[in-house]
Amino acid sequence: MLFLRNLILIVFAVVVVPVHAQQLTPDQLKFFETKIRPVLIKECYGCHSNQSGNVRGGLRLDTKELMLIGGSSGPAIVPGDLEESLLFNAIVHEDFVMPPKRKLSDAVIKDFRDWIEMGAPDPRVNKITKIQSSITSEDIDHARETFWAYQPPEKQVPPTVDNTDWPITTIDHFILAELEQAGLEPAKDAESYKVLRRLCFDLVGLPPTPAQIEYFGSRWKSSPEQAIAHVVDSLLQREQFGERWGRHWLDVARFAESTGREVNQTYPHAWRYRDYVIDSFNADKPFDQFVWEQVAGDLLPAKTDEIWSSNLVATTFLAMGPKNVNERNRVQFAADQVDEQIDATTRVFLGTSVACARCHDHKFDAIPQTDYYALAGIFANSKTYWGAPPSEYGTFNTAQTKRTSSLLLLPIDDPNPFDPRYTSAELSDLRSEIQSTMESAAESRRDRAAGRIEPQQAIRDRLRTANQLSAMSVKLAVVDENGNPHSYCMGVQERENPVDVRLLVRGEIDQPAQTVPRGFPQVLCSEPVSIAGGSSGRLDFAKWLGSPDNPLTARVMVNRIWQHMIGQGIVSSTENFGVTGQAPSHPALLDHLAVEFMESGWSVKSLIRQIATSRVYRMSTSYDAHHHEYDPENALVWRANPRRLDAEAIRDAMLSISGEMDLERPRGSEVAKAGYLRVRDGTLGDPRATARQVADLARKNVMESMQQRGRSAVGGTGSRANSGSNSRLTDLRNRARQKSGTFGQQNNARSKSRFGGLNGRNNLPGDRSGQQAMIEAAVRKASSLVGSGLDMEQARYRSVYLPIVRDEVPRSLDVFDFADSNTVTGVRESSNTANQALYMMNNPFVIRQSQGFAKRIQQDSKGSANEIELMFLLAYGRPPTSGERAATAALVRSYSGAGRSLSESTLAVLCQSLFASAEFRYID
Amino acid sequence: MHSRRHLLKTVSAGFGYLAFAGMSNHAHAQEPASSLNPLAPKLPHFTPRAKRVIFLCMQGGPSHVDTFDYKPQLSRDHGKQGKYGGSLLKSPWQFRQRGESGLWISDIFPEVATHADDLCLIRSMQCDQPVHPGAMTQMHTGTAQFIRPSLGAWTLYGLGTENDSLPGFVSLSPPSGSSRNYGNSFLPAIYAGTKVGRGGRSAQRFMRGGSGESVPDIKNPRLTEKQQRRQLDYIQSLNREKLKREEYQPGVEGVIESYELAFRMQDAMPDLMDTSEESEKTLDMYGVNDTATANFGKQCLLARRFVEAGVRFVEVTHGNWDQHVNLTTDHKARAEACDLPIAGLLQDLKQRDLLKDTLVIWGGEFGRTPAAQGGDGRNHNNKGYTTWMAGGGVKGGFSHGATDEHGYEAVEDKCHIHDWHATILHLLGLDHEQLTYRYAGRDFRLTDVHGNIMKDILA
Repeated sequence: MLFLRNLILIVFAVVVVPVHAQQLTPDQLKFFETKIRPVLIKECYGCHSNQSGNVRGGLRLDTKELMLIGGSSGPAIVPGDLEESLLFNAIVHEDFVMPPKRKLSDAVIKDFRDWIEMGAPDPRVNKITKIQSSITSEDIDHARETFWAYQPPEKQVPPTVDNTDWPITTIDHFILAELEQAGLEPAKDAESYKVLRRLCFDLVGLPPTPAQIEYFGSRWKSSPEQAIAHVVDSLLQREQFGERWGRHWLDVARFAESTGREVNQTYPHAWRYRDYVIDSFNADKPFDQFVWEQVAGDLLPAKTDEIWSSNLVATTFLAMGPKNVNERNRVQFAADQVDEQIDATTRVFLGTSVACARCHDHKFDAIPQTDYYALAGIFANSKTYWGAPPSEYGTFNTAQTKRTSSLLLLPIDDPNPFDPRYTSAELSDLRSEIQSTMESAAESRRDRAAGRIEPQQAIRDRLRTANQLSAMSVKLAVVDENGNPHSYCMGVQERENPVDVRLLVRGEIDQPAQTVPRGFPQVLCSEPVSIAGGSSGRLDFAKWLGSPDNPLTARVMVNRIWQHMIGQGIVSSTENFGVTGQAPSHPALLDHLAVEFMESGWSVKSLIRQIATSRVYRMSTSYDAHHHEYDPENALVWRANPRRLDAEAIRDAMLSISGEMDLERPRGSEVAKAGYLRVRDGTLGDPRATARQVADLARKNVMESMQQRGRSAVGGTGSRANSGSNSRLTDLRNRARQKSGTFGQQNNARSKSRFGGLNGRNNLPGDRSGQQAMIEAAVRKASSLVGSGLDMEQARYRSVYLPIVRDEVPRSLDVFDFADSNTVTGVRESSNTANQALYMMNNPFVIRQSQGFAKRIQQDSKGSANEIELMFLLAYGRPPTSGERAATAALVRSYSGAGRSLSESTLAVLCQSLFASAEFRYID
Repeated sequence: MHSRRHLLKTVSAGFGYLAFAGMSNHAHAQEPASSLNPLAPKLPHFTPRAKRVIFLCMQGGPSHVDTFDYKPQLSRDHGKQGKYGGSLLKSPWQFRQRGESGLWISDIFPEVATHADDLCLIRSMQCDQPVHPGAMTQMHTGTAQFIRPSLGAWTLYGLGTENDSLPGFVSLSPPSGSSRNYGNSFLPAIYAGTKVGRGGRSAQRFMRGGSGESVPDIKNPRLTEKQQRRQLDYIQSLNREKLKREEYQPGVEGVIESYELAFRMQDAMPDLMDTSEESEKTLDMYGVNDTATANFGKQCLLARRFVEAGVRFVEVTHGNWDQHVNLTTDHKARAEACDLPIAGLLQDLKQRDLLKDTLVIWGGEFGRTPAAQGGDGRNHNNKGYTTWMAGGGVKGGFSHGATDEHGYEAVEDKCHIHDWHATILHLLGLDHEQLTYRYAGRDFRLTDVHGNIMKDILA
């Protein structure tokens, strides 16, 4: 088979530490009992064992498992790996010094070396506790048989209604029947421009164009049904559809391009997943297949290398979660990673939180702790790839990145477009630099061992060389032997010889109990599953997730689609279909949609079309006091929900209306450009370098304007002005520094000398506040040009392509309640805050778009009569009301004076006002 | 329901009238003029002990048995089996009696401990949620199940604020994704907390900023104030027309209010955020000049500046107390980062004579287990933990309630989070049973149907 021909390059050998005891040979046993155990008892147990009651540094050495898990600094023993085995490190007095008072004899140290190298065979077995679940199999059966969400969705007969004129589609029957039962009436149809605006924002996330408005309006008059059907079909065909709906998926998939947490390390290849998702929605990929690919794309057969690549990229879903790369304990890190994968997978696809059962039986749902570890077994047998590949010299940890990982090599040639190429000369330079750094590191170690340098100095040296080596190694690793970039992606790969994992008491890695066979959450399985021998079960799990065999996947997805179209889910807790979630407002409709969805071949586009063409979708938002009193949450959908546009739609609409929008998909992302690094102080790259750049630019700016003013100024350089300029310039330096982070002393001095050149030679204008304003403006301008921040104010592409670094989301998105990528987000907040008001009134991006908008109106209207009409049409999708006309005229008069024509700058103020207004950000 | 339409027609001010449609059961009479502005100061139900609140929110669950809940039996039983499994872990920190009151406080908070005689420890806290998001939300809103108004929003709704150029409820650099914890829910949008500064890593960057720049987009680069006011009037006329057309639209009302507040903030915020006029002595007192304490110190200093300027409710978050592992090093580091700043805040409030009517609240969403997790960590514990209050009408050097001998569960004078809320409102002069808001035909309150005031902590 073709896909087997290209072996994926997994550059690093995987060291799997099976948890269960292995058979030891008699020689190994003898070695341990004569040479190792006595030393451990005599030298170590005093401070690191249960008997002594001492667990210094969180480390116990009296059981095999705890030795492998290690303490707060990491594993004491890594079988076969001296370098990683901290116990060895300690007995040779490298970073740690153990025993504390004296060094063991060379012979004993050699014994430990041999023992670790032979795989650290260890016969010590401790008795295994068995955790008895408080949730019995009867409880599970009962829940499966009685709880609504665990029943398979059933085909529904649409209910009959009294008002037979109203419904157009089956959906309408379900909604109307409930309303009639409550004695409520559906709201009347909305005006055509409102329906069009809804359709455009809902389907492609962009406002309607004047041509669309005109066309739709005329079709609507003869047949609203046809007008809608036509527009829906054409919008579904557009590339922007995938960008809109792909972004909804990225919210739940907690997509981000960095690890987040304390040490925020980039994922320079995460953008491939973003593009994969967008392409999948555009292709209307059957949703079941979409599920299989994300959970087990690496295990699916693929006809071509392109498909295989795409399937691998899909598994980025499992790899891009938040991570604490500073976690010292690798076992803890692995357990947390599996936990994150279980949590994301079950909440995203099943709307069920299984991860609660990590520490104890689920408190509310019938999910015993053993079910969690049955799933953990499936995920633990995969290796996750998220970091940077090792070079031929290996991987280098730094002080901050204790945990590293490699990447998957794609079977096609499609490198990260921003990875550099190297000439062979550059390559050999790089290699020799790495070698010499490694040698000097080794020398420093020897000096330290021999006591020739101070321990503190040795540590500093080690940290510095580790950082250098890591940076150089990453450079070398991404290119082949000719210096051309490899093509990598994030994702997962199956480990060989999968094993079951053990339940952890209270989720604690040092408290393993019984082994749990791999499996799926029992309450969701009508029949017990069997996992094929030799496989982890991940493929079976993926296939089961994306199938009618589980009662939830289809329901959860149709509910999300409903939510995005209607404004709230049939189950309003979109990620919680469990006992603590909200019950469905329309259970029959939910089932109907789920069954239709599956029968349509899991087609997302078909379902969207169904909803968009319903009468329900067309209702107006008009308020009714009686209805509101009865059903304030609008759970029965007696009217359309007024919805605030999300952050992307607001930004994209401004770009689109100003005519500045670039609809071309940018290749890669800002994060791909920056490569594998730690995000600090909101910058991709060295914050100090960025600060220097900003300071330089600002300085140049100030110089230039001073020269200009100097030329026009009469009079010389007064000493008062001079001293003023000195302090102002010091201020400038400080500002640049504060903007982008802390300087060390050294850098501070350096930047001081940069400005030193200004002293005494130039004078600033005497007016203090004028100087202040000038300097502020210069720094602002410089920082926006350097683009240091991740706010990306200069970018003109669609918002879905902005860099998504965890905890450093661009302001344009952050201010309007962007999804928190640290968690699965099914429902975004939609607040109206003073911060948003400040953004709309004062942000340079908004102002630039308003100016573009004004320019466009002037070009398109060719004569002032239409300008205001066109402005309203573009921003609101309708002409102004008489009140709005009057208010507009009043503002124009107050800005330009009576009788004057409308200037472009005044028009820009109007345009900005429309962007800022409530109607712009609401879909009614 | 009070006629909404009527109000819409008669009130010309740009915001907030809907608040009064929902306000009910206010026993006292109010000045008609002030009742038109929802942020205008309002008379409480009875004489308040505190006029404003600074809430030091310790996210992640600081361990009570390592900080403010002295458990000698836990030390004695170190290593023994705990009652819910795991072995008991004695605190790595020494407890000592402090001040004249002799309150037991551990060495992890040496500076705060010097204020022992101002602290009122509540050592019998309980909430219903064992996980972070749920417990956090319950601490802020009383429930984790529904989206409900937060404590600060209720406070603002009940009392209004003293300075209408500033938000009445400020949350400084809240963690990302936590907006429901300072949200208004069904209360009018004007009562929502305003986020100042970003959460997450960016918070540190924001806190380093010197003056106005730390509030993004606070200044228009082109228009004069007069021009911008005219522009704003235009925006508001568009918004009001829409609101009039649609009759009931809390969202649009929220937009209108947000612009008025934002416009006034442009004047007030830069000065307020600019700490350059503070003396070195003050900065040192808050630890602003020391890297370890700079971030939280700056936030505490800002909190003082905000309440001094008349802000009703300020929340400051100090995160990452969740030490399942590395308790000894990481809990210590967390405490170090906030110990001096908190002590500085208390001292500063005192010397400005603000502590007497400012209620300072310290607490996390829950505490931690007396039993060890791993060798050097503790798990979540919502059945018993400690929070404290200071100033604003509480007894200083006082301890309320107790947990069992090891610190697992509150056993004496239990203080559920509803009781805690009821007491806080009481200190502010608000009766938690009277402070209601009518929404969808029902009167809602912060404490739902619960809440007992802890009378013994009242000074």
